[in-house]
Amino acid sequence: MSTAIRLDSIVKIYPGVKALDEVSFSVEKGHVHSLVGENGAGKSTLIKVISGAEVPNSGTIYVEEEPYSQMTPALSGQLGIGVIYQEYNLVPSLSVLENVFLGYKVGGKVFPDKKKMRERLAEVEKKLDIRLDPDEMVSMLSVAEQQFVEIAKSLVRNVKVLIMDEPSATLSNKDVDKLFDVITHLKEEGVTVIYISHRMEEIFRISDDVTVLRDGKHIFTGKIDEVDTHSLISMMVGREINETYPERHTPIGEAVLEVEHLYGNGDRDISFTLHKGEILGLAGLVGAGRTELAKVLYGAVPKEKGVIRVKGKEVEFRNPEDAVACGIGLIPEDRKGEGAFLNYSILWNSVVMALKKDAKGIFVDDRKLEEKARKLSKTFQIKAPSLEQLVRNLSGGNQQKTVLAKTFAADTDILIFDEPTRGIDIGVKHDIYQLMNEIAERGVSIIMISSEMEELIGMSDRIIVLHEGEMMGEVKKEDFDSREILKLASGIKEKD
Amino acid sequence: MKNRNIQKIIRNNMPWLILLAVSVIFSFISPNFFTVANVINILNQNAYIITCAIGITLVMMAGQIDLSVGYQMSLIGVTMGLLVQKLGMPTPVVFLIAIIEGIVLSEINTLLALKLKITLLMVTVGTMTVYNGISFTISESKNLSGFDDMFKFVAKGYIGPLPFAVIVTAILVVIMSIFLNKTYYGRYIYALGGNEEAARLSGINVNKTKLMIGFFEGLFVALGTIMLVSRVGTAHSGTGPGTEFTVITGILLGGVSIRGGEGKLSGVVAGILIMAILANGMQLAGWGTYVQFIAKGIIMLAAIGFDVYQMTHRKLVVDKTKDENGN
Repeated sequence: MSTAIRLDSIVKIYPGVKALDEVSFSVEKGHVHSLVGENGAGKSTLIKVISGAEVPNSGTIYVEEEPYSQMTPALSGQLGIGVIYQEYNLVPSLSVLENVFLGYKVGGKVFPDKKKMRERLAEVEKKLDIRLDPDEMVSMLSVAEQQFVEIAKSLVRNVKVLIMDEPSATLSNKDVDKLFDVITHLKEEGVTVIYISHRMEEIFRISDDVTVLRDGKHIFTGKIDEVDTHSLISMMVGREINETYPERHTPIGEAVLEVEHLYGNGDRDISFTLHKGEILGLAGLVGAGRTELAKVLYGAVPKEKGVIRVKGKEVEFRNPEDAVACGIGLIPEDRKGEGAFLNYSILWNSVVMALKKDAKGIFVDDRKLEEKARKLSKTFQIKAPSLEQLVRNLSGGNQQKTVLAKTFAADTDILIFDEPTRGIDIGVKHDIYQLMNEIAERGVSIIMISSEMEELIGMSDRIIVLHEGEMMGEVKKEDFDSREILKLASGIKEKD
Repeated sequence: MKNRNIQKIIRNNMPWLILLAVSVIFSFISPNFFTVANVINILNQNAYIITCAIGITLVMMAGQIDLSVGYQMSLIGVTMGLLVQKLGMPTPVVFLIAIIEGIVLSEINTLLALKLKITLLMVTVGTMTVYNGISFTISESKNLSGFDDMFKFVAKGYIGPLPFAVIVTAILVVIMSIFLNKTYYGRYIYALGGNEEAARLSGINVNKTKLMIGFFEGLFVALGTIMLVSRVGTAHSGTGPGTEFTVITGILLGGVSIRGGEGKLSGVVAGILIMAILANGMQLAGWGTYVQFIAKGIIMLAAIGFDVYQMTHRKLVVDKTKDENGN
């Protein structure tokens, strides 16, 4: 077996940080090679070095045993190396066909040969066993279909090595299955795939080999059957990780949030009750309407019909301000876009929701707020040199903790967590679970939306399952079973 | 550590340092520049611009831009002229109507932006033409005059050695600085500029905050117009347009980011004064009006370029401090 790519002592230094420290390993031709590591381990930098987006300070990149001291984007393209980034490089207003052949000439000098392009795309579709409408606008496609467009784009360019950066992060379970079929077909075509993911089960399902990076250093490369989840995780974090979910002994109290026949934002006829100190899980596939429900409960989108009662009192929310006044808080899924003020400090962020409440008249009480922020950053274990640090410069986990502190500062006691651990390092995930338990023990009630079944089962007292905007059922803790929940989430309801 | 503090002080007071540098240069070129009389003169000439800029600063801190300011001024100006010349209304009533009109005009912009769900920039591209058209129609393109002494006192009166307009402007700057930095309404404006969606989901009433900004914008634009008309002595539809350009450039020079969320009112005062001194200097150097346009345009582009440069550059600086702290 020959190697597709071999890295020899690659070093990349950013001002003050050694992002890659003498990294050497090889990727076998035609294999699916997973690259794992915590955020900041150097995975992204490594991809950039291979694709030519970054120039290494030293070291050699061998492509099919041909040595190169550095790559350029044009050179890596010529050598058949393609990258699909997390944010797709597609033009939404152009058709599938135009996107696939964007910047790639087929036919004459001025006018492209559309017929040839169509044939070429059809060929690729056949090889991958996917179906795309060449004339559809990309903005009309689902996330999964857009990803296929990206893959087709690489394939018409005769890609030999395809690097995929967290391709499954935004896909539903069903689409992940489709993606894996496509990857299998890619393998059959002799394409080498470098696969980056945070999800352990996927790595074991799809890869032949695996490489672990930690703090810019190469830790391990080997066959996937040489390792198991446990050993992989301890290599990634460099210490043993407590994989179990922390236990909680909270007495579950009276009903604090009652929802009856709620319609709105695409959801239909939702009814449930949340109790004091309870963690209620919201399960469902992508597009099931969970985030949509959260936005209605939080007043960010108006409801159409139905009743919401908070602590026994019926409420009408015109906006989130009303919801916060009733003690409801939301930790949004999109931490950077909707949760945090990235350009402002931890101090600024953590008290912004308490400004009015703690004010003297219209004047803010800066001393009181700073004290509050100090307490909150301690409670929520925000790790930063000072409260003046900009949130932009924090890790994902610490950003999430800051958003949590911000919401908590408003004295909220019903918290909706939308994907609270997405994109967060394994070690820090545990901290977040612990924090959720702690605040539940203080009498806060939690609604937790998550696409990670394990986490949902580990944390919740009860789970309700949504499918395409409808409630499929409610599962009690003693009946938790991931297969059963998945069935409900896929819309299969059993009659007994 | 000490080094970084100095850096921080320099960065936070950049507009004032530039103002100082520009002043020093001009005091060498023209010996009359750094006299008390000239300094007071420059302040007095620009009081109306600074007053308008207070209002526009709130708009820009929230991440928006209003292009119609100059045309609002034109319309408010001729309204006052008509009220005085045609109806002979007493000055205090005219002032009151002007202020209400200013607030109405800027709230029309705000409401259109909210209802149509588009940016203020887009709305004001439309309304600026409408306001301009109304202004010329009602004034019939004529010069309007007949303002009484009380009206003229606003820009020409002195209290002790200081012009009345300068004193009023200084008081307004101080009050609004406190408002921006020390009240939760002020912080909400920064929140909007930092991340509007996060602000909304943090329970801040975004629409209400925007209407509040519109209120202040209209108020300060109207006050600025009163000062302007009082200074010129007559009202004409051509008076006002163009001010938005000086104001926006000055605000950018003053350290307010074009994306919103950053800057201080004191910096804005320095930014406007930089523009004023440069204009003064160019006039002394005998440059024509059109050459000055070119220069001002280049200054505006430079200010925006510097803003963007700072944004990317600052990230590196902060990353470095992070490392020194062992992260």
